[in-house]
Amino acid sequence: MERITSPGSRSGSCRDDKQFDGEIEGLMTEDDLQEAAVVPVTESTFTALLGLPANQAIELLHETESVKSPEIPTADIWKDSQEDQRTFSYPFNCSLTFPTNAALVERAARFSVFASAQDSPERCSIPSISSENSPKLKAEPANSESNRSSSPILSSSPTIPKQNQKSAKRKEREKVKGSVKKSKYVENGNKDGEKLPYVHVRARRGQATDSHSLAERARREKINARMKLLQELVPGCSKISGTALVLDEIINHVQSLQRQVELLSMRLAAVNPRIEFSFDSLLAAESGCLSTGSFPSTLTIEPMMWSELQFNGERRQQHQNQHQQLWEVDLLQPPVWERENYNNYHPSENSVFSYNSSAESVSMHSNQLKMEL
Amino acid sequence: MNSKSSPSGPCPHRAKFTRRFLRALARINKDRPTSSSHHEIRKRSRKIKIAADASMAYAVGSGRAWSRVMLWKLRNRTRYRAWIWSRVIASTRKRIDKGSKQGGELSRTDQLRQLVPGGEAMDFCNLLDEAAHYIKCLTTQVQVMRNIADFYFT
Repeated sequence: MERITSPGSRSGSCRDDKQFDGEIEGLMTEDDLQEAAVVPVTESTFTALLGLPANQAIELLHETESVKSPEIPTADIWKDSQEDQRTFSYPFNCSLTFPTNAALVERAARFSVFASAQDSPERCSIPSISSENSPKLKAEPANSESNRSSSPILSSSPTIPKQNQKSAKRKEREKVKGSVKKSKYVENGNKDGEKLPYVHVRARRGQATDSHSLAERARREKINARMKLLQELVPGCSKISGTALVLDEIINHVQSLQRQVELLSMRLAAVNPRIEFSFDSLLAAESGCLSTGSFPSTLTIEPMMWSELQFNGERRQQHQNQHQQLWEVDLLQPPVWERENYNNYHPSENSVFSYNSSAESVSMHSNQLKMEL
Repeated sequence: MNSKSSPSGPCPHRAKFTRRFLRALARINKDRPTSSSHHEIRKRSRKIKIAADASMAYAVGSGRAWSRVMLWKLRNRTRYRAWIWSRVIASTRKRIDKGSKQGGELSRTDQLRQLVPGGEAMDFCNLLDEAAHYIKCLTTQVQVMRNIADFYFT
């Protein structure tokens, strides 16, 4: 694998880019300039990068795929700050020929993600160290979150075409979207094509992180939460696992409930008309159910009391009534007789409604009466 | 037998529903003919069922999509019966065609959509939400109706 090109080629390309030299002249010493071997990162001269120390090459890759990078000075400073020079071999274990822009960018993206990982391997620490050491150079720190600042830096150099910003944005997107903090690197299947807004999400380990899958995951979680609620509502559903079966159960339950409503309405329709719908007693029964919760007891009492009063016309239960507060009975009794004539029904209703609280206490007493009976 | 068997407790609309339903029941039974033929019973049971659904929907109010749809259906029922009937026919025809195309069985989601009022126009997430509330209210309705029916058969 060709890793190290001849120095001749390096210098040759250096001479080609005088303007690039001019840019970085203010930033580095003459020695460094020559040392840096200012090499435009073009496709054709990519192999020239191999002549540089590896860390410099990384930065170059980060910056552009086709234009000279202003980060070369920083690379130099890295070199100064570093004791040992990286071998050429380490980042270039893979193929060194980058025939297309896309491949180059992908590589740059990969390196950038490596750089931004906190527990990154040693090679990624290089850019971080460099970022600390070269703040004033406004070099794009490889692992900083302020990648957006790099775009103004990039735009400052007039010669840099749009592609520069494009690649930087792509890299930033990779860094922001990448599940970098906690997880190991997961190649994001080249999302470079889409220009998505920045999504500050922390994806879980090993999960895709583009906004589509995130939105889908949020939606799925919502649906799962609601399925859990439904499972609690429907009896016998909590043991079932699997959405389809749970849905089946839910459908069956709803159908059975609707059938029950129909049956009950049939039953109510068939109720013997002899028993008048004593509204107040029903209300008492229902409110008794609400207040006490022990509904059946009130049910058994009420009909005995009221129906007998209605049909027999005698107060057989009078001794039971006496157990209640008399004023309740007196107030409730007259409406019973009036109920024969529905014309007076509504006025009696109103009077009954105002005694709703009394109706509740009636039912409470009827609970005690049940025990007596 | 505990009437409050559901784990979520009594529905907050229970009292309102009861009152409305009882009033409706009284109204229905007011003009009840003495003859209790099957036909009459069936007609009355239909009226009672509609009254029950209506009172439940009124008790819930407009806070829920399914209650809104139900109220709308009930309101328009009296006025645009013919139109509703034509819509029902069209939808069943569409469903039959869809079913025959797909091979018969509706998917579970579609079945649920048919059961929950207004479910046709909801996305799945909201459909589950509405279905949960609808089940809760249906349970309350059944409990109250059963209590009333028991009350009159003892």
